[in-house]
Amino acid sequence: MKIAVLTKILPDGQDISSAPDGTLDMSRAKPVISEYDLTALEVAAQLAAATAGSAYAVSAGDASVSDSKTVKNILARGIDELFLAADNRLGDMDSHATAGALAALLEQMPAVDLILCGDGSADLYAKQVGPQLAACMDIPYISGAIAIEPGEGSAVVRRKTETAIEELEVSLPAVVSILPEAATPRICGMKDILAAGKKPVHAVADIEPAASGIQASVARAPQQAERLNKIFETADEDAIREFAAAMRAAL
Amino acid sequence: MKTLVIAESEQAARELSVGTRAMADEIVLVTFGNPIPGIADACIDISLPDDAIIEDAYLTLGDVIDAEQPDAVFIEPSSQLLGLGGRIAALAGTAAITGITELEDGAAQTNYFGGTGTRTVIPLSKPVIYMAGLGSLPSGGTAEGTDEVRSAEFRRPERSAVKKGAQALKTETSSLPEAEVVVAVGRGFSQEEQLGLARDLCSAIGAELGCTRPIAETSNWLPRSSYIGVSGLMLSPHVYIGAGVSGQMQHMVGCNRADMVFAINKDKNAPIFKQCDYGIVGNIEEVLPALTEALS
Repeated sequence: MKIAVLTKILPDGQDISSAPDGTLDMSRAKPVISEYDLTALEVAAQLAAATAGSAYAVSAGDASVSDSKTVKNILARGIDELFLAADNRLGDMDSHATAGALAALLEQMPAVDLILCGDGSADLYAKQVGPQLAACMDIPYISGAIAIEPGEGSAVVRRKTETAIEELEVSLPAVVSILPEAATPRICGMKDILAAGKKPVHAVADIEPAASGIQASVARAPQQAERLNKIFETADEDAIREFAAAMRAAL
Repeated sequence: MKTLVIAESEQAARELSVGTRAMADEIVLVTFGNPIPGIADACIDISLPDDAIIEDAYLTLGDVIDAEQPDAVFIEPSSQLLGLGGRIAALAGTAAITGITELEDGAAQTNYFGGTGTRTVIPLSKPVIYMAGLGSLPSGGTAEGTDEVRSAEFRRPERSAVKKGAQALKTETSSLPEAEVVVAVGRGFSQEEQLGLARDLCSAIGAELGCTRPIAETSNWLPRSSYIGVSGLMLSPHVYIGAGVSGQMQHMVGCNRADMVFAINKDKNAPIFKQCDYGIVGNIEEVLPALTEALS
């Protein structure tokens, strides 16, 4: 079975800091794989191994996504090849434009049976690129997968909604979004990372970004509400009494 | 302005219908086998075959949108409706606006990196597709509408998923979105039995119990519907009390619009102490029972 995994490369959210004027400083945030995509990569690697197939990672974004450390990190996870469109014109796309770019990328790759994506991206957590891509390719989309069993031209997907665990049969190709609980991403050793350096990275140029349907401003730190910040450092009887009195007054 | 509200749960149907009333002259509500009269100007109910999934209702919704011509579509961000919404947005040639914390004159404040940042997103085309979670629209309006219920035929895509079986999960509808007082528990609770301490405080002060994501998703001590923060509930209660909550951005973004924030944590360096009105450094095992007694 041939599997493509949509992989978002973005700045590490933990290293974003905000200045007193509310601007965000991204300069120390190095490119990383979006957290939930790690699970999708793991599921793809396991499915490819179980079916003697291939797992391809697919990514599009601005020039920063060709970061060599991140590229190796992707390929160290049981992924065979990476198809990468790194182009500043592909930076900060909305989900509709991203799906268009990924669909164009997929056209330049070997045909795949299954397209996996993570539950949501670390920056927007919008869960939109999966269904947008499925719409673009006119194939089915399934959210919330916790297990995938490949069959002949179809797959059985166990998935979780807010109210039920369902078993779905779907003809392939299809786009399936993977929940974090579906697998535990592997810890890559030095050997995996060295081997990753020898795997093919296909730089795909000339992907035309689609026009955006929505327009986002530059991100700023959220306005913090003014708080009293009265802290009792020791929870003794007096402190608890005063704390309780403040709470009673607020209720 | 005409809005289309698409909801799976009755709670979201009500909140989105009431929340869009101030901006819309006409509201059409779309439901899936559970028509709700009286909260919109018309309700269109789509009855799915037993073996179909909501994500595959996009052709049907495309028909509804063509017929109704809404200016804006408000969708409950459940996992299936996020999928359906993505396909509807694709049909409209646009991207849905997601992660909304506030909406004013069509422009949405949206979360960036789990609330580390915020962006203003404006639509460039119509219809605008908003994924609007509980608490993201103004509350306090009243439900009004007609009893008109129409049904729309489910039009199955040529290639679709076929449901072979389903096992219901334990669900509870959450009364947290409307709660004036919220007690939230976090990782400071190391055993499930300790939740009783928080429940006792809730009963004493008439609060609803919520939690951080790990308590709902890793420990599974409380239902998923009760976690506060990114991808969960976005609340603006009068009083928020965090017990054993460290104050990670991902959680605080869901409660930092509270009028008053109280914090109880044994770690004096917990980030929540920088974002609260009153904080007390102490063990939940000692502080919570003492508070409950003082406030009973």
